[in-house]
Amino acid sequence: MNYILEGFKEAIRLLISLDKEVLSIVSLSIIVSTSATIFASIISIPLAVYFGIKKFKAKRLFSRITYTFMSIPSVIVGLVVAIILSRKGPFGHLNLLYTKNAMIIAQTLLVIPLVFGLTYGLTKSRGDVIERIAFTLGANKWDTIVLIIRELKVDILVNIATAFSRAISEVGAVMIVGGNIKGYTRVMTTTISMMNSMGDYPMAIALGIILLLISFIIHSLIYSYNRED
Amino acid sequence: MRIHITKLKKYYGERQVLDIDDLIFEEHKITAITGPNGCGKTTLLNIIAGLDKDYKGEIRYNGFYLNKDITDKMTLVFQKPYLFKRSVYENIEYPLKIRGLSKDIRNKKILDIVKKLEIEDLLEKRAHLLSGGESQKVALARALVFEPDLLLLDEPTSNIDPDAVAILEREIIRFNEESKGTVIIVTHNLEQSKRLGHRIVEM
Repeated sequence: MNYILEGFKEAIRLLISLDKEVLSIVSLSIIVSTSATIFASIISIPLAVYFGIKKFKAKRLFSRITYTFMSIPSVIVGLVVAIILSRKGPFGHLNLLYTKNAMIIAQTLLVIPLVFGLTYGLTKSRGDVIERIAFTLGANKWDTIVLIIRELKVDILVNIATAFSRAISEVGAVMIVGGNIKGYTRVMTTTISMMNSMGDYPMAIALGIILLLISFIIHSLIYSYNRED
Repeated sequence: MRIHITKLKKYYGERQVLDIDDLIFEEHKITAITGPNGCGKTTLLNIIAGLDKDYKGEIRYNGFYLNKDITDKMTLVFQKPYLFKRSVYENIEYPLKIRGLSKDIRNKKILDIVKKLEIEDLLEKRAHLLSGGESQKVALARALVFEPDLLLLDEPTSNIDPDAVAILEREIIRFNEESKGTVIIVTHNLEQSKRLGHRIVEM
């Protein structure tokens, strides 16, 4: 038991002293996951709304495939991105593997299905009435998509927060494409995983606390915004 | 806008809900559609509005099939209006904004319509928090503000107070007389259909 208590004490000391290594790991994690969430949201939200209100024959099958991709394992995404970016891969000449950009690409691909699937489901259930109103007021397709996003913005924001949580807490994809290089591609989850295997708990606990804090702050902000709305 | 319906049939599964051989809604007139529940009044309105395309038969609008130019010139006010989660002003502004009208023109038209419907004091309020009568007035203001050629109304005065009903009816008549707009109103209220309609269609 003692080593766990000692771990917590050391973790608190690292947090209070604003340890440089901890700060650099945390900031890189936030930069990578925020960028990935933003890119994924820009790509998937308009598309999800478009397909959510569109009526087409294979929509049921499309829905099933969409929801299946939402739970795609992060290691598979990491593996695919690593193959594509490896020296022999189609984008090997860009020398992106084991860089921050590779991690952003992997996390973007990881959360695209999540943002898309959640927003698609939301639009399918609540977008119809907004689409009908928009149509009767003379809105075109693009006007309608923008209107639906605005009307459902609180719920979409929750989807984005869920995607961010998934991105910042995943370890498989960033480990494979980033390589967990100290001071360069080391993020919170890869550090926790590494420290755990080394039996060095204080740093792992400190980063675990920060991960939980980040999640708490984001969801609290959304909750208060939701109440205001 | 003159609407000519020929050989219109509509089914929900096996059940036939509409069977209209020939029906004309004359231009610049108010036509009231009445009939018992489930006779297809709302379905007919949705079909005319272009919201329901799953039917057999033909509908011509001033001699043309439904297209974007036509849908831009007509609107439908629902029995339970959906107002956007914005201010009343922004709700009424929406159809003008998507038509690319300038801020000054938008403002002038909005102030004009809210005065007619006596809802000036609601302009800054959040629209989705209004009462039933207020919501229906805002929905009608949003529909009339862009001066459509065809106004479709699906029981717009059910469940609202008599004062609000009187204002809505007055503005529907004013729209028809001043703007020469065609109106088709679905109503359960026979008295209302007599008050408003140049013609009553019993379904």
